[in-house]
Amino acid sequence: MAETETETTSGVVTVEKVRGRSTITRCFFKYPLKLILPKKVGSSQVDAVWIYALSYGGGIVSGDQISCKISVGDGCTASFTTQASTKVYKSVDSKCSEQVLEAIIGNEAFLALIPDPVTCFSTARYSQKQNFRIFSCSNLVVVDWITSGRYQSGERWDFTSYKSTNCIYLDNDRPIFIDSVLLEQSLVCDIAERMQCYQVIAMVILLGPKLKNLQNQIKEVVKKMMTVKLRPPTTNFGRYAKSEAQHDRFVPDLIASCSTFGPQGIGSVIRVTATTTEAVYAFLRTHLSSLEMFLGAPPYCQSGI
Amino acid sequence: MDHSTSKSCTNANHDDKSLLHWTQWQLLDSVLPTGGFPHSFGLESALQSNLIKQPEDLKPFIIQVLDNTGSLLLPFVHTLNKSPDTETWTCLDNLLEATLTNEIARKASATQGSALLRVAASVFREITELKLIRERFIGSGLVFFHHACVFGLLTGLLGFDGRMAQRAYIFMTMRDVLSAATRLNVVGPIAASVLQHEIASAAEGIVEKWRDRNVEDACQTNPLLDTVQGCHAYLFSRLFCS
Repeated sequence: MAETETETTSGVVTVEKVRGRSTITRCFFKYPLKLILPKKVGSSQVDAVWIYALSYGGGIVSGDQISCKISVGDGCTASFTTQASTKVYKSVDSKCSEQVLEAIIGNEAFLALIPDPVTCFSTARYSQKQNFRIFSCSNLVVVDWITSGRYQSGERWDFTSYKSTNCIYLDNDRPIFIDSVLLEQSLVCDIAERMQCYQVIAMVILLGPKLKNLQNQIKEVVKKMMTVKLRPPTTNFGRYAKSEAQHDRFVPDLIASCSTFGPQGIGSVIRVTATTTEAVYAFLRTHLSSLEMFLGAPPYCQSGI
Repeated sequence: MDHSTSKSCTNANHDDKSLLHWTQWQLLDSVLPTGGFPHSFGLESALQSNLIKQPEDLKPFIIQVLDNTGSLLLPFVHTLNKSPDTETWTCLDNLLEATLTNEIARKASATQGSALLRVAASVFREITELKLIRERFIGSGLVFFHHACVFGLLTGLLGFDGRMAQRAYIFMTMRDVLSAATRLNVVGPIAASVLQHEIASAAEGIVEKWRDRNVEDACQTNPLLDTVQGCHAYLFSRLFCS
């Protein structure tokens, strides 16, 4: 597949079948991106390659522009992840940092994008865009998440602006999933007020025939879990409310919901929000563990513990 | 009755601008039979999650819903109001189908949009495109009749100016959430009306902020409410569809 690379391209990874195994046939990276390709992440019985993306200095500095292209050839499996959460440092001179990912996933290929969360520090400005081009038999897992900041130090949703856009195109040009989340301080409502007591927001996309079982499983699990947590107000609300009775009820520590999308519902998107990052790591670890059979190792097992 | 008076009563010589006011008011009037308000915009789910604990929590909730409506849906209203043609409509309707990733909101949008088009085609008979579009596409599977797109198309064909159309969309959303709030017994009808007046200024600010944008810039600004609204189907007992 011909890829146009420009001066701003920070990274390129191409995965193809060589002697019947998924192999990284091209790997290029330059500052501020660094890519590591460890050989022994997963079981050798499973045909999958692992790619770790690192940023120099452990974070993204104001004004950094990082763009990366991944190409997963027909029948190949690749897992793209990080070593630690991506820290976005404060904005200098109102500059915005930006990351762009362009991924092409071939037929019966499998890409798992399973990074640690993004953490934007106070006054940071950050934008990321991820475009996925797939075919009807492609398989895709995407985890995209953000924490409120260094919340143990009191920095909660204190950044200036965060935007994350994820687009999935089927057969080259048909959009089947376009999601853009913008968290920006505004006069209408600051971010902390919007997010209430929640410190993490995550989105998990599961798409493709190999993920059908997992999609169904997670849908049932989320439904069961949430049905217990949601109950109608027991007293007359509003005008006649006995305020103590209502205040006794706490908000759930974790809220999750699952929606299908795409033609014939080929994809599912699960949104999760929680009061701690650990709770979301646990959710991901538990519910994505069955991906081990495709990736050779279960996602998030070394992280966030 | 003298000749000149009876003539002025029946003469359809009023300018189009004056008549447009009547159309606008009819479109915004909750008496228009577009489906009986089965949607709470995530309010019912927010109540059962205890994110809304007391009546005072309702005002920020509504403002956040309006802000999200502005950022996500006004670009669709605006673009179709400017170009109310079939090609733009089918393209944007499919794009909105991909953009409404929340299944609950997506289904609500399609239901409300279908109802609006049905009523509009019957009421505004002089705009033959409405009936033709409906007949051509209903049951075809080619479009989803999303509400913001139908509304943009309709206002474009009716001749509303863009700002008015976008303000009207935010107004209708505010009207419907308040209506849901009274039916869920969060506030009484008078308190709801007081709130409506109090929120007007913030609502106008939201229109000003998000109007006239391209659909490529459409985004959601409240992932917490999106997550919570997505739980609507898990509510054991519920009054609303969304």
